[in-house]
Amino acid sequence: MTDQTETSAPNQLDTKFIFDQARGYLAFGEQMTEMSKQFQGNIQSGATDWGSVLRQNFDQFKTAITQSADDPNVNPELARLWNQTLDLWQQTASSLGVVPPEEGGGDIWQAYQQVQNQYLDLLRQAARGALDLMEQQLVERASGGQMIENLRELYNLWVDCNEKTYGQMLRGAAYSELSGRLFNTLLACYPKRETTA
Amino acid sequence: MIGLTPERISEELKTYSARLTEGMQTLRRVGEIESGVSPRDPVHREDKLVLYRYQPRVAKPHPVPLLIVYALVNRPYMMDIQEDRSMIRGLLDAGIDVYLIDWGYPDAGDRSLTLGDYVHRYIHHCIDFLRERHQQETVNLLGVCQGGALSLCFASLYPEKVRNLVTMVTPVDFHTPDNLLTHLIRNVNVDLMVDTFGNLPGSLLNFAFLSLSPFRLAGQKYVDLVDILDDASALKNFLRMEKWIYDSPDQAGEAFRQFAKDFFQQNKLIKGEVIIGERQVDLRNLVMPVLNVYATQDHLVPPAASKALAERCGSRDYSELSFKGGHIGIYVSGRAQREVPPAIAAWLAAR
Repeated sequence: MTDQTETSAPNQLDTKFIFDQARGYLAFGEQMTEMSKQFQGNIQSGATDWGSVLRQNFDQFKTAITQSADDPNVNPELARLWNQTLDLWQQTASSLGVVPPEEGGGDIWQAYQQVQNQYLDLLRQAARGALDLMEQQLVERASGGQMIENLRELYNLWVDCNEKTYGQMLRGAAYSELSGRLFNTLLACYPKRETTA
Repeated sequence: MIGLTPERISEELKTYSARLTEGMQTLRRVGEIESGVSPRDPVHREDKLVLYRYQPRVAKPHPVPLLIVYALVNRPYMMDIQEDRSMIRGLLDAGIDVYLIDWGYPDAGDRSLTLGDYVHRYIHHCIDFLRERHQQETVNLLGVCQGGALSLCFASLYPEKVRNLVTMVTPVDFHTPDNLLTHLIRNVNVDLMVDTFGNLPGSLLNFAFLSLSPFRLAGQKYVDLVDILDDASALKNFLRMEKWIYDSPDQAGEAFRQFAKDFFQQNKLIKGEVIIGERQVDLRNLVMPVLNVYATQDHLVPPAASKALAERCGSRDYSELSFKGGHIGIYVSGRAQREVPPAIAAWLAAR
């Protein structure tokens, strides 16, 4: 009569998430390697204003990450870091059976795509803000003589900055309105089951 | 930068990749993931609902049983997720006779279930079952999160059957400025959603929860996992939580429709305007002793959303228990095990 403990095997989702994020982290590391090389090179060639050097090198990182966002084929792993929330949304929509129609789709599908692009723009604004914030914090640390000890610390700083700017966006009226429209236009792509009484 | 050389980054990436590769072996060997560890017996069933009694851990448990009403979202084994992280075990150790409603997984046949079914039928029948089984006029009720809101409704409608009411991380005022879930659902066409899907898919709820903190919950968490991939025990704990997070039942369509519109969008609970099965829910009917447990860092149910109960309920014996932690930490953290179940048990024992 006593109930059995519920058991399950580790599911595919865990492994996929782990590998996806690991690839993103490695791509982040590659970018930071490049940036670090340039930074070290500039310092060794006599540059004394660490803040300016840092800003200059960080701009290149920003460019790389925004390019990957504009065209994910340039660096899909880096793009994944940037597009985290949109990926989550698209995975959810896909799990609900929403797939792009073969030939562009009708007006309803186009309307959904349009709103999804607006949603992506909003996410990108927050992500750009996160890069600016990260740069600012790195410069502040540099001027205070604080060292970044390892890559993970740098990645954690990137996460913290993204959570901060994303959180600010999330609390805004524009996000509430747009995410509501995103849901509603997605729902419009489905055939209705029955009308509300 | 600054002190972080290319060689150092390269070394770190090599170590990370090596640990990831080795860790995958541990992941393959880790075996089954158990959850829900305390022995329990099914004592009552209705449709997909199963009422469980947890086997007492003291010789003579408290004569008044405690019914736990968990949320409809996610699964209730969070309350008993592993031996050293079990709210239920803590209550059992403190001498409480614990019962829990498992709602099961609604399917297409359940889409027309209403909040009236959940409150007037399911909860009510469990309460009556326990009153009869224990020969008590009244029993103790503990509602968790959304289950707390349902418990508030039940206790307001049937105050004569509830001896003491405990609410845990329960939203009462859904329109506090920091309520992110309300912010997300405010502009969603709930009628269209329910008419489209029938039952609300659990994956949509998962998206809503993850989207509150995507860089941590869908990114950093998995990068950090490499640090424990060689520790089978820690890895099992992680996977147990993952299983719970993604174990999201679909929501019965009509019940979700009313909960989303009346509670989230229109905040009717604190206005006394919620109607359940043609009866109005008036929180002033909560005249029994009430213990309101909230978490100070709860991002899903902010403290202000829970504490609003103080001014709305009719009880002269109203207390609050503040836990320093988050919405999940209140069940599973080590400090929660030491602080929360003993405090609830002591409060119940005194009444």
